[in-house]
Amino acid sequence: MKEFMLFIRSEENPKASLSPEQLQQHIEKIGGFIKRLSDEGRMKSAQPLEMDGRILSYKNGAIIDGPYNETKEVISGYYHLLAKDLNEAIEITKGDPRFEEGIWRIEVRPILKVEGIN
Amino acid sequence: MKEYTKNNSSELTGHFFRKEYGKMVSVITRYIGTENVETAEDIVQETLLRAVEHWQKEIPENPQAWLYKTAKNLTLNILKRKKYQKHYEAIEARNVKALENISFSEKLIMDEQLKMMFVCCHPSISENSQITLILKILCGFSISEIANSFFSTNETINKRLVRGRKQLRENKVNFEIPQKINKNLNIVLKTIYLLFNEGYFPSQKNESIRYDLCLEAIRLAKILISSASIRGKSDCHALLALMYLNASRFKARIDEEGHTVEMEKQDRKKWNQELIQRGVQHLNLATEEEKNSIFLILATISANHCIAPSFEQTNWTEILSLYDRLIEHEDSPLTRLNRSVALAKVKGNRMAIAELKKLESISDIGSHYLFHFTLGEFYNRENKRNKAIDQFKKALALAKNGRDINLLKKKLIGLVPNYQS
Repeated sequence: MKEFMLFIRSEENPKASLSPEQLQQHIEKIGGFIKRLSDEGRMKSAQPLEMDGRILSYKNGAIIDGPYNETKEVISGYYHLLAKDLNEAIEITKGDPRFEEGIWRIEVRPILKVEGIN
Repeated sequence: MKEYTKNNSSELTGHFFRKEYGKMVSVITRYIGTENVETAEDIVQETLLRAVEHWQKEIPENPQAWLYKTAKNLTLNILKRKKYQKHYEAIEARNVKALENISFSEKLIMDEQLKMMFVCCHPSISENSQITLILKILCGFSISEIANSFFSTNETINKRLVRGRKQLRENKVNFEIPQKINKNLNIVLKTIYLLFNEGYFPSQKNESIRYDLCLEAIRLAKILISSASIRGKSDCHALLALMYLNASRFKARIDEEGHTVEMEKQDRKKWNQELIQRGVQHLNLATEEEKNSIFLILATISANHCIAPSFEQTNWTEILSLYDRLIEHEDSPLTRLNRSVALAKVKGNRMAIAELKKLESISDIGSHYLFHFTLGEFYNRENKRNKAIDQFKKALALAKNGRDINLLKKKLIGLVPNYQS
């Protein structure tokens, strides 16, 4: 089994425009998706992220706050997943019910296996 | 309220969010005023969004308490935030303490929802906006859900909401039960009945949303009945009876393929006996005051249908006399059209046909598909095939929703063997 990081990306918050009924369905659907994968031992971790934070960078000998991305896209959560290979990880990702209800992007990245580190 | 809380550790009951939305907006509006009702709506939407983030992996022990606490804190933050202070100064001084100490008891929630009903139905607000405000604020439907169930557009529904909220602001509508409660109560009852009918008349799509509208109308009427502020509830009982009795036939009116089944052909075993019983109970309570109202007559007509063993064995004489009484209250072409069905049963189809022709000459009822449909039925029963076909064709040209169109086509195919639609 290989490890994958899935970064859930969106512009603004696609959920903000959902109705109360749809929000409840979102909890039920996404919760079910995560639970199923956790029960199968494939989901090692899944967390939402708060919408504001900081980007730190190094410039002229000092750590500075920024620069910020031009785009409004932010990472709003992540999954840490186990799968046979990239194709399987992609297939699992396609099953994320959030795709049905708004403009979400999920970046699927294999975790690089480095001898002695992980 | 038990029925809305979760039933096990990982599930929420049906429409939990939608129902909590209306409760929370009502309670918050009490503290920030009806002129800020949109802020209350935003606070509650934000509360639900936060719940989504926090509940993804596990739903808390007491989801209701979690929501109320979050909504309360968000409201307090807004009241305390500096940039709002000018606008909210007066509100803040008055209400922060009260809001900090508030406990969301069942009674408080009921009381505030009741007040909100009267706020949404304030006489200064147009009828369209009243019902839209109720659906958005008290029932927790989104703009597009309301648009779907009304066969309208998001823009139209949004306009009605904006206009309604503006009228609340401009008329400085207080968040309270009005002094002259009876005048406003009539508007509230009428709006609830409109809401019910919006859901009751079958459509091709959104079946579940539309049945929800009926259930919401019943829920709102129950709040009125449990209120201590309203004295003389016979009208409320009559309306609730009417809605229970009509709702009892909901499932029998549509067959498995989604086509309308006329009452004559409905399987009466599918009528919901529990709802009929509740309807009859409220009908009895409604008659205690010996006050005659449109709802009471309509409910009594509906009850007559519900308790009849078959269509033929229905007490049509009683129903006809109820329609005669109804016309004394509300002499509308549509009421007379409905009356003609009972008239045909009691005095014969020819009499009913004559009555309808007269009605067509003095009103614009001829622009309604139901008029031609009914007239076509009478001709058909009299074996006047060509006249029946003629009327059904007129009805078909005027019918708007898919189910009515299907039913009419079926009628025409029955009369014209090689009818091409």
